[in-house]
Amino acid sequence: MGCEAVKYELVSGFETHIELSTKTKIFCGCTTQFGGDPNTHCCPVCIGLPGTLPVLNREVVRFAIKAGLAVHGKIADIAKMDRKNYCYPDLSKAYQISQLYAPLIIGGYVELSNGRKIRLHHIHIEEDAGKLIHRHGDTYVDYNRGGVPLIEIVSEPDIRSIDEAKEYVERLQQVMRWVGVSDCKMQEGSMRCDVNISVRPEGTEAFGTRTEIKNMNSITNIARAMEYEYDRQVDLIESGGKVVQETLRFDDVTGTTSSMRSKEDAHDYRYFRDPDLVTINVPRDEVEALRAEMPELPADKCRRYIEEYSIPEKDAQLLTKYRRISEYFDEAIDGVKSPKTVSNFIIGQMFRRTETESDKELFAVPTTPAQLNELVKLLDSGKIRNNLAKSTLEKMLDSGKGATDFISESDMGGVDDAALLELCKNAVDSNPKAVEDFKNGKEKAIKALVGNVMKNSRGKADAMAAEAKIKELIG
Amino acid sequence: MVTREDVENIALLSKLFVPEEELDGLTESMQEIINFADAINNAPAGDEGFDNINNLSNVFREDEVIESYPSEEILKNAPEQAEDHFLVRNRE
Repeated sequence: MGCEAVKYELVSGFETHIELSTKTKIFCGCTTQFGGDPNTHCCPVCIGLPGTLPVLNREVVRFAIKAGLAVHGKIADIAKMDRKNYCYPDLSKAYQISQLYAPLIIGGYVELSNGRKIRLHHIHIEEDAGKLIHRHGDTYVDYNRGGVPLIEIVSEPDIRSIDEAKEYVERLQQVMRWVGVSDCKMQEGSMRCDVNISVRPEGTEAFGTRTEIKNMNSITNIARAMEYEYDRQVDLIESGGKVVQETLRFDDVTGTTSSMRSKEDAHDYRYFRDPDLVTINVPRDEVEALRAEMPELPADKCRRYIEEYSIPEKDAQLLTKYRRISEYFDEAIDGVKSPKTVSNFIIGQMFRRTETESDKELFAVPTTPAQLNELVKLLDSGKIRNNLAKSTLEKMLDSGKGATDFISESDMGGVDDAALLELCKNAVDSNPKAVEDFKNGKEKAIKALVGNVMKNSRGKADAMAAEAKIKELIG
Repeated sequence: MVTREDVENIALLSKLFVPEEELDGLTESMQEIINFADAINNAPAGDEGFDNINNLSNVFREDEVIESYPSEEILKNAPEQAEDHFLVRNRE
């Protein structure tokens, strides 16, 4: 009997920290603006001086509820704040105000394109820590970020591949930006992930021992770290070793993970209720008002574009990646015959002018949705042909002007049969070489003749009709 | 029951050095503190109990920016500072 190699399945769960886009910090009125000179966005509350009293920012609760609704979570009736004690210079108070026993959001899920739902355990609110800069062996501390409101989204260990992990992060990013609770800029640290990962022989139920890779700040690095860690764990097990439950750091230069905490470091957060902060009795009417204000979520919108407008799935995903693009599309399709035409113009010509992701997110193209709508309606009514529409859109995008600034009355209206015949005859007579090639079986040569017709009709002729007529003439 | 090991562990978490000869005394004191807390825990709080002494809930601030302190003020009590940062020396 041959010895078949055991295949290992990856099992992963994510803890995702997202900074909320409130104007002020979670417990004081200092600004949450990114950057700033060191220690200039601070006050006695957020540097944790004795005798200060934190007071919860109302908007933080509202934003967290919105985030919860965006991922189909249950909004708790009662939420409380707890202290998580640990001693490290990034926390001025030696504890972080967080939630353990009564988080604001329970459950929820993120649906992936393969149909799998990654369940969420809960979402809680907490304060961010300060920034540490390690230099010449010493540590420089800037507390500007200390006290910036975060939500931590804790998933169940439902992720089964690196592709699923990447999509999970992208989906969270998409939906949290969509509902306006965060800009989710991983490079600026407003979205960070701790990745829990274990392996088990395919087909078995019991989870293996997991490790946790801390503070991942790009999707590329998440994928690299998971790949490395998966291989490391499989190799360890295959060679008779055991995975040790530990916290790891990923080094993006070497592409490897290494242990973060030494064993003698006692690890006990001694969570307890923060006596400075009172209970949140989540007002149901406010939850319902927020629910009513929720925009149509990207996944629902994507599905609707596919079903109602027959947009191909890939295109529907692109149109719903950023809320502004989808809203642009929604406005531009008003009353048009084929929304797909609008979609093609957006994804084709407009995306070429909004190359980066941040350009797409802003989607500040010079042409308004109403102007695109007008152009597509001219196309719908047969007044202009596709070629002319395309070249006109380029001019519109260059100038911000409307379609009728470039298309004269004489450009509009089709070409009648007699005129088309005349145009085709002309094309045949003036291109003997192409006619010859076509007759010799070179099918493509006909394109040159059709092109001639289109050019001489200034794009007004129907290319299909012209091709048929030319074939008739020379066939 | 509070043990000597508990006290050693708490000392470690609190980053305190406790001399061997003080361990027994501290263990006893700690036990007394725990007994006191237990007595409070067991005190009747009425049928409804209470969440905090003032029965407050939903105390919020509005999301309005208040001017922060100048960094000199913020750093005033720092044991050490450098380049507008709190400075933490590596003990090694």
